[in-house]
Amino acid sequence: MEDSALNPEQIVDEAVEYGAKLGIGEVAAAVTRERRKMLRFANNSVTVVQSWDQTIPTVYMTWKRKRAGARVENPSIEALREVMKTLKAAMDIAKPGQVEPTLPKGPFTYEPVPQTYDDRIPAMTNELADVTEEAINAALAEGARRSSGIVLTSEWERFVKTSAGAEGGDRGTNIELSIRAFVTDDSSGQGNSCATRLEDFNPKSAGAEAGRIANQARNPIFGNEGKYTVLFGPAVMAEFLGRTADFASAYSVDLGLSFLAGKVGQKVASEKLTLVDDRRLPGGINSCSFDEEGHPTQRTTIIERGVLKTYLHSSYSVAKYGGALTGSAFYVGGTWGIAPVALNVIVEPGEHREEELFERVGDGLYLTNNWYTRFQNYQTGDFSSICRDGAFQIKNGRVERPLKGLRISDNMPRILQSITSLSKDRRWIKWWEVPTPVYLPHIVVENVGITRATK
Amino acid sequence: MEDLVRYPIDSASAKGVEYAEARLHVDTGSGVTLRNGIPEPVQLARAKGIAVRVLVDGAMGFASTNDLSRESLSGIVEVAYRTAKASKKLVSKPIRLSKEKADQTRWESKSRRSLLDVTTEEKFDVLEEIEKTLRPDVVKADLPSRTLVLFDNITDRYFANTEGARIHGTVSRISLLYILTVSEPGKGTIQRIGNKGETGGWEQVEKWNLPRFVSEEATTLGRILREAKHAPRGELDLVLGPEVTGIICHESCGHPQEADRILGREAAQAGESYVKPDMIGYRIGTAAVTVVDDPSIPNSYGFYLYDEEGVRTSRRTLIREGIITEFLHSRETGAEFGVNSNGAARAVSYDREPIIRMANTFMLPGKYTDEELVGDVRKGVFIKTFMEWNIDDRRYNQRYVGLEAYLIENGGITSPVRNPILEITTPGLYGSVDAVGKNAQFEAATCGKGEPDQGAPVWHGGPAIRLRNVRLGGQRVES
Repeated sequence: MEDSALNPEQIVDEAVEYGAKLGIGEVAAAVTRERRKMLRFANNSVTVVQSWDQTIPTVYMTWKRKRAGARVENPSIEALREVMKTLKAAMDIAKPGQVEPTLPKGPFTYEPVPQTYDDRIPAMTNELADVTEEAINAALAEGARRSSGIVLTSEWERFVKTSAGAEGGDRGTNIELSIRAFVTDDSSGQGNSCATRLEDFNPKSAGAEAGRIANQARNPIFGNEGKYTVLFGPAVMAEFLGRTADFASAYSVDLGLSFLAGKVGQKVASEKLTLVDDRRLPGGINSCSFDEEGHPTQRTTIIERGVLKTYLHSSYSVAKYGGALTGSAFYVGGTWGIAPVALNVIVEPGEHREEELFERVGDGLYLTNNWYTRFQNYQTGDFSSICRDGAFQIKNGRVERPLKGLRISDNMPRILQSITSLSKDRRWIKWWEVPTPVYLPHIVVENVGITRATK
Repeated sequence: MEDLVRYPIDSASAKGVEYAEARLHVDTGSGVTLRNGIPEPVQLARAKGIAVRVLVDGAMGFASTNDLSRESLSGIVEVAYRTAKASKKLVSKPIRLSKEKADQTRWESKSRRSLLDVTTEEKFDVLEEIEKTLRPDVVKADLPSRTLVLFDNITDRYFANTEGARIHGTVSRISLLYILTVSEPGKGTIQRIGNKGETGGWEQVEKWNLPRFVSEEATTLGRILREAKHAPRGELDLVLGPEVTGIICHESCGHPQEADRILGREAAQAGESYVKPDMIGYRIGTAAVTVVDDPSIPNSYGFYLYDEEGVRTSRRTLIREGIITEFLHSRETGAEFGVNSNGAARAVSYDREPIIRMANTFMLPGKYTDEELVGDVRKGVFIKTFMEWNIDDRRYNQRYVGLEAYLIENGGITSPVRNPILEITTPGLYGSVDAVGKNAQFEAATCGKGEPDQGAPVWHGGPAIRLRNVRLGGQRVES
């Protein structure tokens, strides 16, 4: 057996102190302690219940135009010191980079974001099965025969301390249900609900939605290739616009993997689209009060009425590209260590009721879900993505018949420019294929390329 | 380390569970990056943690932590036991495990020079040698964006279960990730994201001859951008290179023959399968098609000898001469199908449950030279590499968009073509293969599955193959 793991405050203190001893210019240390439980189910039956209790320190160091970082899933002083010493030795021999990033100068006052913690969520154990049963029964009541999915609860605490004087702690809870219901193998629907507090969590409506779509999708026929006006359900556009927010990260731009590169100040989307990363949204799924460089979080408008306003930034990207910090710096690994990421992607609402959007489509398609989006070229945005779950033909403003075998084959900048209408009502989407939560409406896009297999 | 896995097993046994296992992972890894010739942050990854699984009256509980104190280990056994028990009311079919031999053994991937002995300086030297060969005067193209990353990782795993299995395995793995963007005035850009990866020590990197390998990739991209014309559309013959054969075998053979997908366990995530439990013996392709998955190939990127359920693994023949012959199994699906596990349950880290995964999936070579495959095509396209691809969640409707591709005219390869699109069903694809080449090659990749997601290191490959009378087409917005 080993000694008990250090507590998070001890770890961040030790990292900053040891960094000073090693003579490293700047150190940002963060620790996330997370306790999660996930019940997985398939065919209306539980397949496994998983639980985690993890303390994950990260350390990021800058010195003489050099950077280094580590994730240390071994919360002991020995492991932390070994890693920092090894990083210092690597920095000693590494050639300097182009710019000298400077960590945000503290101290800062962090205002907690309201409605992000509910102590009933981490206490749930037997209730995971109750929640699952409620969702499955709601799907069955709508005509589904079998359902699969997950219920996830999470309680997290995060601590940060930097050599630049930032120091703070934060905490939150999440609960998430994702359910996919089937009537037959090729008629399925998905629903989800996620929240930071139990009163905003609705497993029954998620199950009912999944069951209702699956039932409507019975006996699908193969659709045809062509260009269509498409009403995208929130799940599809959550995937596309979540990726768009990722493309707005200066990290993606720097890697040469973004069609938004060099376009700050330019019109990159229809004027109907305003896209925000709001880490301070009360009750926001990933809302938090500081990033892992110790900078306070904020609401950042990425695209305003179609115009790209800013990239998401960390201290390094500000030093390299200019602009202002956006409180977006988190340890992601990759090639930067700490990099800007989107956490709560928000799409401003439109003016239409959902039913009106079907009328506005007239003749076209209604696509409720997708997966497996892959790009041919990230700079041009050429991509394809597979339609999944209910896909429907719309004729004269009404759902005519379910379809199958369809693929969205298009160009992401063109999709963004071709948004014509958005609904008033919005909802959170977060599931396996959409890891960053997105709060958004139904959205209509014109001239969407659709293909399918022919042999 | 032995006591760290034995203690939770003993604790679980004391609670009267049907079965328990404990698995300790110790990971040591690093990443070194050169971006447009400038070093990016050196990165290290360390992890040391443990997972337990318990079977309680047919319900499965899993718990994991990186706090290895006695109190914490007791805690995860208790929570796995308690949550499994609480879920019993919703377990309609009790989970059982196939009976397997309880081995006590030690296995490892062989290294001549340990990755732990390689300095950061040496790693940067390799990347800088590659960088030198990417100059415009060398590759005859402008590369405004170049990212080169060397990742290495050593994982030590200790496994124990209540049946007496004790397995200690060590895998050392190294890979190069390269992201290249070539630009040409008036022609736009073209991108390639590629991997080279194997298990073993630093000697693998030395034998790859990376400067030449990456430089040739860049030169080819420049040529495509300058010279490639629109790909033809319509019905024609195709020759697919080993890289395309490999992704096909992975996506539309390996995945649909994972028994957990067949049973619907991944329905809400990576999806289900067009393959049904009674399809052993079903013809899915021509007699030219034999696809295997073999974790035991030395130095392969997906190498292992025992899976994370302590089961010895070996080659699995998924399709033999066009007929579905075997599924990939864990102990849970083995019991469900009335067969033994074939050692396909992998967990990528201490905090992930073992689930069914591929390792090294490839089509077995046939008897044709590449010249013979092309020589018998009057009008067609040779797709050597790809960039964009995807497949539906039943693994039936798939698409591969060529990156390096050429026209075949009257038995010979002629001019390069841009973005040929093959969009085809699984039986349509395997049913069109009339000839398989002699020379197999492999690509390293990371395969995603499970919730929470597990990115598993895999290889896929095979030889070049020929498809008769398939439709090349699709619809693309010209950007």
